[in-house]
Amino acid sequence: MLFVFCTIIVIFILTFYIWHQMESIRIGYEIGTLEEKVLTLQREVDELETEKSSLLSLDRVEKIAKEELNLVEPKKEQLVYDEFIP
Amino acid sequence: MSTVFQNRARIRIIILGFFFMIWLVGLTIRLIQLQVFEHPRLKTEVLEQNQNRNTVHPKRGTIYDCMGNILARSLPIQSVFFSPFKGEPSNLQLEKIKKLKRILDLSENELQSIHKRIERNSSFIWLKRKISPEQEDKVKKLYLSGIYFLEETKRFYPHGRLAAHILGRVNIDDVGASGIEYKYNSVLEGKKGEHLILRDAKKREYRFETLKEPEAGKDLILTIDETVQYYAEKELEKAMRKTEASWGTVVISQPATGEILAMANYPTCDLNNPPSMPLSLDRNKAIHHNFEPGSTFKIVTAAAAVEARKVNLTDSFDCSKGFIRVAGKTIRDHELFGVLSFPEIIIHSSNVGTIQFGQSIGDEIFFETIKAFGFGKKTGIDLPAEEKGIFRPLDNWTQISAASLSIGYEISVTTIQLLQAINAVANKGFIISPSVVKKILDPAEESREKPYRRKRIISERTATLLTSILQNAVQRGTGIAARINGYRVAGKTGTAQKFDPSIGGYSSTVHTSSFAGFVPADNPAFSMIVVIDEAKGPYTGGEVAAPLFREIATLVLRYLRIPKQQEHLNTIIAERRLRQVER
Repeated sequence: MLFVFCTIIVIFILTFYIWHQMESIRIGYEIGTLEEKVLTLQREVDELETEKSSLLSLDRVEKIAKEELNLVEPKKEQLVYDEFIP
Repeated sequence: MSTVFQNRARIRIIILGFFFMIWLVGLTIRLIQLQVFEHPRLKTEVLEQNQNRNTVHPKRGTIYDCMGNILARSLPIQSVFFSPFKGEPSNLQLEKIKKLKRILDLSENELQSIHKRIERNSSFIWLKRKISPEQEDKVKKLYLSGIYFLEETKRFYPHGRLAAHILGRVNIDDVGASGIEYKYNSVLEGKKGEHLILRDAKKREYRFETLKEPEAGKDLILTIDETVQYYAEKELEKAMRKTEASWGTVVISQPATGEILAMANYPTCDLNNPPSMPLSLDRNKAIHHNFEPGSTFKIVTAAAAVEARKVNLTDSFDCSKGFIRVAGKTIRDHELFGVLSFPEIIIHSSNVGTIQFGQSIGDEIFFETIKAFGFGKKTGIDLPAEEKGIFRPLDNWTQISAASLSIGYEISVTTIQLLQAINAVANKGFIISPSVVKKILDPAEESREKPYRRKRIISERTATLLTSILQNAVQRGTGIAARINGYRVAGKTGTAQKFDPSIGGYSSTVHTSSFAGFVPADNPAFSMIVVIDEAKGPYTGGEVAAPLFREIATLVLRYLRIPKQQEHLNTIIAERRLRQVER
């Protein structure tokens, strides 16, 4: 009876150990995949921020405003200051 | 019968149990042997087969302007290299490379260099570094063995040539080579790290260990304002095209803090496509070029005379001859004046008058005042290779030195030194070192804002008086082209003849024109210096530099939302203040 009990305990421990190892590896894969995803997304954010900055560069905006939208510089009398700085 | 059968069954069960137990014990022993006794050896073997130790290059810090706009950022990009397998014939290796020639745009020189490395049996050969994503796709589609990619980073400048001389450039290994990139390289580059990556038989990553955490480079926030910088560069370029000058520079700063808002240079270039010989990019004229300032230096002469109480505002000087002889040399005025008061001498920029009161200062006091204004030494701006100008020690002065220095000759200065000097006047007598980096963003600690130190060099009375004189110089003197309706502008023009070594004297045809000023005069929002070298056609500071000051200042005043002052009162206020100080 004791022998059977010990055998069951040993089998249980070994099974648990194997399961633990398998789970660790599975979680390792998952962490690796997620870390890679975070890195990719961070890079994407960086790239998009840089692209946005490039698209909003003043010479480009001025060129589009003047050449495509036919906007002009405001005349002196058209300038209204929203607050007075003494 | 049943007993015999039961006995046999029991024996069989015992035998089976015995074998099962042996199998179980054997399995346990083997597992203990593998997992405990042979664990270190087996682990080492597995690691040798499946582990990769990767050096992790930290991300280089980003550079922002004072409004948080990105000026420089590193982004990942692929580089392609060739690693032939052992024993691969060199002609086959070369054939592979030739297939990539067009895609990678390899020059003959590059091909020869690769060929040499193949002949030397190199196991790692760079084919092309930092290729475009399109090139990467094309190379991958060829499925060539031995061709691999390595991820690196490339510096991108989203605004192209904006602030090119301040930002500087990095080399192919992303190490700063000039400008801020060089000066703050140790802050921007960070520290390398090391990763251990374990892969299974299918090369999937199943364990990732950080052996050494890479330290990302710290981000920098500059004092530069993208919009002000853009205005300065745009207007400078227009002026340069109009005057056909050899080079020009504009620097705009906040006098109270010494922070540089813009530093424009022309000629310039796109940082994303720098010239093959980027020397022009590495030379920032505002800090690397020494020149004789001419009349803009009269501000210092006037400050020394007033501070030493060698001249009163009511003092008059006879300038009617139009020339003055000093130690056998004749120095002339740019036009004929009569008798001029001390302020009128500066307002109309009379050389004859300035020399007269300049000589009364005394060499020692004059020398000390010039030194106090920061000439002859570096301003300490946080940009690399700043020049300190050329200013002779007092012992080497000749009989004509005081006279020459009075009108801005016999001394070479940098643009940034002149700006620092005009800032001292704008600051009511305090001198402050200029700076271009506002903050270093450090995630580990609180962001460090760079402190600024100021030192009084002239009294408030002298500074106020000079401001009034400079305001008049713009209202009705040589700087009239810098006048902006609705704003009180203080400033001084300069037109210096350039020394021509071929004739051993000063040329009458090539000049350096300048204008240094600040606005609004009583509470300056910004100061600005404009230097234009060798302008064709009109060449005086009043004709070339002062109008450029006005154009840029008008835009910057609007951008900074500085409201107009009472327009019709400007002249009256300027003259009244002068009279008040006179009393």
